[in-house]
Amino acid sequence: MRLQAALFIAACLSPAAAIYSDEVNHIEFHHALLGAPSPDSTFFLKPSSSSNASLLYTISEKSIVGAVNPRDGSLIWRQDISRPGSAPSGAGILRGLDGNNAVVGAAGDSISSWSAQDGKLIWENRFADGAVADLELLELEDASATSGSRDTIVLTSGEGAGVVRRLDGDSGKTKWEHKDNSGDVPFQVSSSPSEIFYISLQSAMLKGYKIKVTSLDPITGRQNRQVTLNTESDIASQDSIFFVGANTASPLIVWADKSFKSLKVNVIGTKQINTIPIDNASGQEVQQITVHAPHRLNSLAHFLIHYKTETGAWAEVFHTDMKSSVVTKAYQLPYLQGQSVVATNNINANVYFTRVTDSEAVVVSSASHGILGRWNADVSSTDRAVHAVADVVTKGKSVAVRSAVIRKSGDWSLIRNGQTEWTRPEALIHTVAAAWVEEEDQEDLVHELEVEGHESLIGAYIHRVKRHLRDLQHLPDWLKELPKRIITSILTDEVSNLDSFGVAKSIIVATKKGRVYALDTGRQGTIKWSVQAEKTSHWDIKAILTIPGSADIYIGDGSSVRVNSSTGEIISRSAPTNVKLQSIATFEHQVGSSVVRVGSLGIQEDGSPVSLFDDITGFLVTTSNDGRVLGWVEKDNKSPVWEFVPPAGQKVIKAVSRPSHDPVASIGKVLGDRSVLYKYLNQNLVLVTAVNEQVHTAGFYLLDGVSGKVLYSVSRSGVDPTQPIASAISENWFAYSFFGDAVDESSAKGYQLVVSELYESPIANDRGPLDAAGNYSSLHDLPLPHVVSQSFVIAEPISHMAVTQTRQGITTRQLLCVLPSSNAIVGIPRPVLDPRRPVDRDPTSAEAEEGLFRYAPYLDFDGKWYLTHSRDVAGIQTVLSRPTQLESTSLIFAFGGDIYGTRATPSQAFDILGKSFSKLQLVLTVVALAAGVAFLAPMTRKKQVNMLWKAT
Amino acid sequence: MSSALPPPPPPQWVTAMNSPLPRPTKAASSIPDPPGFSSGRGGKQRQQEKQQPVAKKPEETDALKMKKAWEIAIAPSKQLPMNGIMMYMSGNSLQIFSIMMVFMLFKGPIQGLINTNAAFAKYETPSTRGRLVAVKLVYVLMQFLLLALGIWKVNAMGLLPTTRSDWLAWESERLPLEKAYFAFK
Repeated sequence: MRLQAALFIAACLSPAAAIYSDEVNHIEFHHALLGAPSPDSTFFLKPSSSSNASLLYTISEKSIVGAVNPRDGSLIWRQDISRPGSAPSGAGILRGLDGNNAVVGAAGDSISSWSAQDGKLIWENRFADGAVADLELLELEDASATSGSRDTIVLTSGEGAGVVRRLDGDSGKTKWEHKDNSGDVPFQVSSSPSEIFYISLQSAMLKGYKIKVTSLDPITGRQNRQVTLNTESDIASQDSIFFVGANTASPLIVWADKSFKSLKVNVIGTKQINTIPIDNASGQEVQQITVHAPHRLNSLAHFLIHYKTETGAWAEVFHTDMKSSVVTKAYQLPYLQGQSVVATNNINANVYFTRVTDSEAVVVSSASHGILGRWNADVSSTDRAVHAVADVVTKGKSVAVRSAVIRKSGDWSLIRNGQTEWTRPEALIHTVAAAWVEEEDQEDLVHELEVEGHESLIGAYIHRVKRHLRDLQHLPDWLKELPKRIITSILTDEVSNLDSFGVAKSIIVATKKGRVYALDTGRQGTIKWSVQAEKTSHWDIKAILTIPGSADIYIGDGSSVRVNSSTGEIISRSAPTNVKLQSIATFEHQVGSSVVRVGSLGIQEDGSPVSLFDDITGFLVTTSNDGRVLGWVEKDNKSPVWEFVPPAGQKVIKAVSRPSHDPVASIGKVLGDRSVLYKYLNQNLVLVTAVNEQVHTAGFYLLDGVSGKVLYSVSRSGVDPTQPIASAISENWFAYSFFGDAVDESSAKGYQLVVSELYESPIANDRGPLDAAGNYSSLHDLPLPHVVSQSFVIAEPISHMAVTQTRQGITTRQLLCVLPSSNAIVGIPRPVLDPRRPVDRDPTSAEAEEGLFRYAPYLDFDGKWYLTHSRDVAGIQTVLSRPTQLESTSLIFAFGGDIYGTRATPSQAFDILGKSFSKLQLVLTVVALAAGVAFLAPMTRKKQVNMLWKAT
Repeated sequence: MSSALPPPPPPQWVTAMNSPLPRPTKAASSIPDPPGFSSGRGGKQRQQEKQQPVAKKPEETDALKMKKAWEIAIAPSKQLPMNGIMMYMSGNSLQIFSIMMVFMLFKGPIQGLINTNAAFAKYETPSTRGRLVAVKLVYVLMQFLLLALGIWKVNAMGLLPTTRSDWLAWESERLPLEKAYFAFK
């Protein structure tokens, strides 16, 4: 009680300082993710003309534009250019030019220009007449071009009409536009030093497409000439065209005939089609042809064609004669087994090709086949490389290369001269489920302690002595480890050395793309292993349940995959069943301070369990897809024992229950006069949120999960159902937030956070009608709670809520809120959200002693509450919390977009020695004192003897 | 050995001290006494000497003893106001000073109670024994009053488990007979 009061006061005095600066990157980790980079829109670029350092720019499949530091893979800036509500039409496009201070990105119908250096918005433009199909930066200098920022040529494709526009580099305003109403399919734009080419596909009479090239004047946008290539026999769809060279000195269009026997190359603007036979020596079918050409006007007109087969790849380099537009083969890069990717870049006019294969990385010049640099690759990843971009540096005769390789999973790694420098796990952006790994050894100890707890005093003593005797076999190892442990404990501080307290937990995450990862929260979230568990793009994961040694991943089609949680090896799979699952019920008991799971069961979409659950005694509460809450007993999975149907028009959108690990340290709240307000504690509470989308009302219902009885309900009008509505319940309180409109004079307009506490009785020292009864039955005599509520106006929406969990629940809790508009996670201390705060008056001394302070309707999030402090943690969908062996500390893991993990200490880290505690200093002090005593003791003794003898 | 000898004549200073001072001359009487000299001392001695021979009646001594005993019995009550004010002033917070003061407050009466008989032993004679019981009772009552003050103080400091919150840790959560499991989307 005293301890709790002390903790409480500590929490009030300094409401949980979020993090100390020296703990950043130490107790927390953050994977700032972009998503899988789009191959065509990834490039190295020097953001400022003054510096030679280049950054890696990309636009991801999630339409996030980002700049990555090629040195360490850290994110410099990122901007999400996808607009909510508008479905993204394919991958976005990003273009940049060396010497230009901006990169221009487009997604859907909007186009925006971002400062390359710091990611600030320069301009933004939106087109009503269709989505952006292609985008080029105009490299040519003309009279109208201002220094620094280059103009943009953008092609939009709407219904049957393509529009080419030239946008001003500084303002994004349209300088001219060229409209094509011919009904052709707008395809791409390209430019040469003197002209802008608009390439469209004209559907031919029977089938296939003709390529139509329209040449435009860059200054006025007037049409100069038009060339139509007779390609209808080769080109069936847009995908048949491999490459439209952008901004090269001699822009190209490359396609192949249908049988992949020969390639057709056309220099844009000419009528001539060069046919190159595909010299396939491997004997295997060519699967993929990619064309790599430099993107600079002043570079040599050389290009490389890369052929990929099932098992290997080769490449051929071609030169284009500028005058005759004839393409000739220069040399060939040999066929090699395994994966192979090629990247191109140019230094001034010279073009370099970098080829990264399983075994080596090779740099060649486009002019000759001599190998300029060759490095052995250090690792061959099982994850296939699909694309690469390279940055070649020449120093005299030697070259150095760094190439960013995009892998099939979406992961991204930088290989510098054959060495992998960093890997960005971009595929984690699709994480949909996560679960903490259970460890076996700790479970054993917990079990032993439980056995002791249940035995008689003597029995427990004997058991413990036996256990300690058994532990003696570890003594030699322990003694061997001892010097190392002492040294490390002196050298490192306590905060960083807590692995034995369950602070370093592994977590298994599964992504929508069928990948499963294990992250180590103890070591900055490094990936321990990853495995492609399923080849799919939409893995419908319902739950991950972990047991010591393995983890089961349950899929919506009824199948499951079991992986080894320490190696990632797939142990077993179960076949899908013909029922579609909506969720997985887990039967968990809280035993002591740990949670034991006794079973799990699939729940169908209509809310009914797939089978009886005879072996479990208890009730099951599910939600159905038509917006009801259903209660089931073990013997009947056809008809529910109760159902909760919200009032007419309302639909259940969310239901939350108390976490399975939710220990209550004290069953009452001690008031300032030392009387007790008893908490209404019921493990079976369900908080149901229902909204009526027509009349904009929301109802929050507190149900008892056994009887289905409504214990408390509140209805709010003027609730915007399109805004996030989040709710959480724990202990004897629940909180929810929504956007409320002003419906009458007294109501507030804005985002609101409401917190309610449940008590047995409004009177202190009263335990309600059941009084001191040890048990109660929800079916017979369930009293109603006394509810105290307070609501706060908050500045921004909360998309998800969770509550910190600690081992014994003594530590004050924090309400964890995900703030999507400021990309942060905030942990609001519970004392702030106390609905008993005095309204419109200062607290009395008794209330002040209790820690209550005056209610203020506006709740400003204190900077110290931000668990993510200055980080930009975007796209978080779910926050998980887990207790550790330390009562003060709760592990937090957030996923959904970025991956973020930290430790929360809502009442400060009261059971850990702080960083300022120097063990070395303590030891030195003791040693110094001992030395002083050893030195002074003989002196004092001598003096005392002398005094006795020489007293007279 | 020396008892055999006749007592030697008292020394001159003894006779001088025992015989009254000669009346000082007029001139001498105007000389002020040296600092620290009290001319009345001799007189007091004389008075004592005068009283000594008067034999006291036993009733008088008893009455005197009883009076003294009553004084001792009432003495703790005199501390009450002072202690009360001190305790009131020292506040209810748990600090080293208030704890020490409370400790002293308890130590005094408890020691007093233990030493009740010792405190009145001087005045105990067969004749006063009966009357002393009442005195002792009052004495004990006074000590209890002091103790009561201490207990009031300890209570005010919140150290006595008198409120519901002090027993909260021994109350257990009411357990449900049924358990519900949840499976939400």
